[in-house]
Amino acid sequence: MNTVRRSGNGIFSMNGREWSLLVACLLAITIFSVASPHYATSGNAVTVLRNSVELLLIGLGMTLLLAMGGIDVSIGIVMGLAAIAIGRILGADGSPFLAIVAGPMAGAVLGCVTAAVVVLGRVPAIVGTLGLLGVYRTAVFVLLGGQWLSGLPSSLTDLLSTTVLGIPVAAFAIAVAYLAVWLALRRTPYGLHLLAIGNSEEKARLSGIPVVKIRFATFVISGVLTGIAATFYVATYRNVEMTIGSTLALDAIAAVILGGTSILGGRCSLIGTVLGVLLLRILQNGLLLIGIPSLWQPVVTGVLILGVLGFEAVSNRLPLARFQRARA
Amino acid sequence: MTAPFLVARNIAKRFGALTALANVDLEVRSGEVLALLGDNGAGKSTFIKILAGAHPPSEGEIIIEGSPVAFSSPKDAAASGIATIFQELALSENLSIAENVFLGRELKRSILGIPFLKRREMRQRVDGLLQELDAHISDPEAPVGSLSGGQRQAVAICRALNLNAKLVIMDEPTAALAVAETRKVLALTRRLAARGCAVVLISHNISEVFEVADRIVVFRRGRKVAERLAAETNHEEVVSLITGAHPDVRALEKTN
Repeated sequence: MNTVRRSGNGIFSMNGREWSLLVACLLAITIFSVASPHYATSGNAVTVLRNSVELLLIGLGMTLLLAMGGIDVSIGIVMGLAAIAIGRILGADGSPFLAIVAGPMAGAVLGCVTAAVVVLGRVPAIVGTLGLLGVYRTAVFVLLGGQWLSGLPSSLTDLLSTTVLGIPVAAFAIAVAYLAVWLALRRTPYGLHLLAIGNSEEKARLSGIPVVKIRFATFVISGVLTGIAATFYVATYRNVEMTIGSTLALDAIAAVILGGTSILGGRCSLIGTVLGVLLLRILQNGLLLIGIPSLWQPVVTGVLILGVLGFEAVSNRLPLARFQRARA
Repeated sequence: MTAPFLVARNIAKRFGALTALANVDLEVRSGEVLALLGDNGAGKSTFIKILAGAHPPSEGEIIIEGSPVAFSSPKDAAASGIATIFQELALSENLSIAENVFLGRELKRSILGIPFLKRREMRQRVDGLLQELDAHISDPEAPVGSLSGGQRQAVAICRALNLNAKLVIMDEPTAALAVAETRKVLALTRRLAARGCAVVLISHNISEVFEVADRIVVFRRGRKVAERLAAETNHEEVVSLITGAHPDVRALEKTN
């Protein structure tokens, strides 16, 4: 009656889900290469990876949130607000160092706001962050005064959009973030507590886990990762547009549950999230190159979410299995 | 005989106008399995909730190892060495046995100020406890959700032992178990007592109680109506004590 699957503890532990994602990525690449002559170029590979940077960072935080039984649908706009903070500092001062600190700082502050609403205010995460999404969307509009923040100095770009020893700075940042999140999740009490809360908040409390502290910290960690993502965003595009981050939360949730993290909490896979992000970006890029307008991208994401959840419901992992387990 | 681990004196519990418990005097001794019997609503559950710190008593006192205590929460009771294993086990199904046993009290070492888990040591401690309890679990790394009901009871008992519990309260531990599993849990209960723990067992199954208990206390309508050594009583007498047909209980109930 081995109904509970457990992701491995290793840093790159792969299960059936992760291997299927890898196969899906390779399959998609093969199909797109045949379908479009512009696809299989090194330039396009760099584009796909480049487009994955923010989503990888945000996806790591979202993995922790979902594993804990939480969620943050405002995360894209949070990145927008952090990007505005970075852009303003960069525009006023031109110093890239201040701007680099500003991203994670703004992310941490916004993470505290989300945690205050959801954790201290005891509002369900989906409702609380949906409320914040509405507030933040208007905040972005007001802060930008109805126009793009553009023509930012190149100093941040010079610092972050380069390579060290032939490896992009962004790749280093992602590797460090992955390692840090993995260590926290699999090697410290924090990770155990987070997964216990995701399984059942009530049982976690009975076990003497500081539930409020752990939940609060997780929203802040997600905020910091989002702030780092905003820094790379501003460095790359050197502008902040009105619609910044509008599809990021949807993409992040899709990538994370594609990767095998349970939408109900208690189970997650970090390597799955990385592969989920790559698959999503490969599909979005490939469909564009074979001539499908970018308008359709959210549809692809939505269908993937519904597909995964539908598949999991059918394979007895969703409420029915929980119910049976509870009665066992 | 050694001094009792816990003495409850004149315990009463009232919920508004309703008296759930009155005048309960009880001793719990280390190394002994004490069974609480009684019909539904007899007051057994209220009594163990008082011992577990979940309810404060309205009257009376609890003395542990000679000194009076007042619990305001289950945490206080745990600090005094009382662990309760509820029917609904508070285990995390998605975590391994060792993770569950240590949850909330992990062994850790600090590296650069970051607390890292001592996984190997936790695993060894748990393997030792499982061996001591003679509980065989083929894959100790498996999530607890994949274990059987009896194995989960073993994990919950390990957790209690690991918290250095001196008194383990078990509320209907075999209620949801198959026959073979029930055997194992009863054996576990005996071994817990052999280890020097005091065990308070609530059960509805009288033959089970005779199998493991040293002493039997019967509750009826919020009062303790009888206390017997298991060796000096029998099935029929206990049933008559529970239902109130026993002359002793009749006499007692007449005077009240």
